[in-house]
Amino acid sequence: MRILLRVKIIFRIKSVVLLLQRGVNMATMADEVLFEFLHMELVSHIYRTASKDEKDHCISKLESLGFRVGQSLIERFTKETSRFKDELDTMKFMCKEFWNAIYKKQVDNLRTNHQGVYVLQDNRFKFLTQLSNGKQYMEAAPKYLAFPCGLIRGALSNLGINCIVTADVSAMPACKFQIQIQRV
Amino acid sequence: MTVFNFYIFDRNGTCLYYAEWNRKKQSGISKEEEFKLMYGMIFSIKSFVNRISPTDMKDGFMNFKTTKYKLHFFETQSGLKFIMNTDLNVGSVKETLQLIYSSIYVEYVVKNPLCYLDQPITSELFKAKLDDFVRGLPIFPTSVS
Repeated sequence: MRILLRVKIIFRIKSVVLLLQRGVNMATMADEVLFEFLHMELVSHIYRTASKDEKDHCISKLESLGFRVGQSLIERFTKETSRFKDELDTMKFMCKEFWNAIYKKQVDNLRTNHQGVYVLQDNRFKFLTQLSNGKQYMEAAPKYLAFPCGLIRGALSNLGINCIVTADVSAMPACKFQIQIQRV
Repeated sequence: MTVFNFYIFDRNGTCLYYAEWNRKKQSGISKEEEFKLMYGMIFSIKSFVNRISPTDMKDGFMNFKTTKYKLHFFETQSGLKFIMNTDLNVGSVKETLQLIYSSIYVEYVVKNPLCYLDQPITSELFKAKLDDFVRGLPIFPTSVS
């Protein structure tokens, strides 16, 4: 009995070492893939389980999921940053830090009309890069952008900015997020 | 050196993808029949090779040659089969096929939620990436007469 146990333990240690040797670059890859696959499944689950007349609500359901996640995320990301000067400063933070933390890159272009409309353009948006590099699968694009839209809205809402976020795709994998700030 | 054509089969023998480049002579049967024939032969060769081998093998069946072409075979742990036909001057393309699997198939089919894993691949992006990749290979450029 004892001998058997020892063999087992040695085997376990060996496999752990092996996993560690192999795992260094696999682990850094795995965390991104995990989020990607989970998001894919999230979308397909919501669409699969929705009944006929619920189909229209799928987008808003995904969006509100993203909203909740964005709210919590921004709480964590802004733990150590100083207060933002103004709205534009907040947007810059979204483009750099927020985007980098989630999609491992920055937004490629930020534009504003200085009247509460901001456009964030990402030329290689993570959820679209594997789908297509043109018009194919265009009709499926909205369902993969609802969650990210909610993510932005949730993050901004927790920073005290109420807004409407919409996504717009003319050719994949480029994507524009339009943020329209609601003033009361 | 040149590449003639390329097949991907899944575990159940469905042909997921087929592409050809410098293939001069067609088989004279429909593509579906050809896929079945190809899969059947690969299946038989695999079991033949395993049975006849005098010792345990690591890789199993990898390629065969005729006087006109060489067929390369690579199978993943999940049972996907990658087959590439080239001319006789080409050495081992095991790494190349592995790369097609890991950086093109996984990237643009597995990570594409709109591609169903047990059905033929329809993604234009996958098609384009694979075509670019094969055309860029050092074994691709010169065609044989």
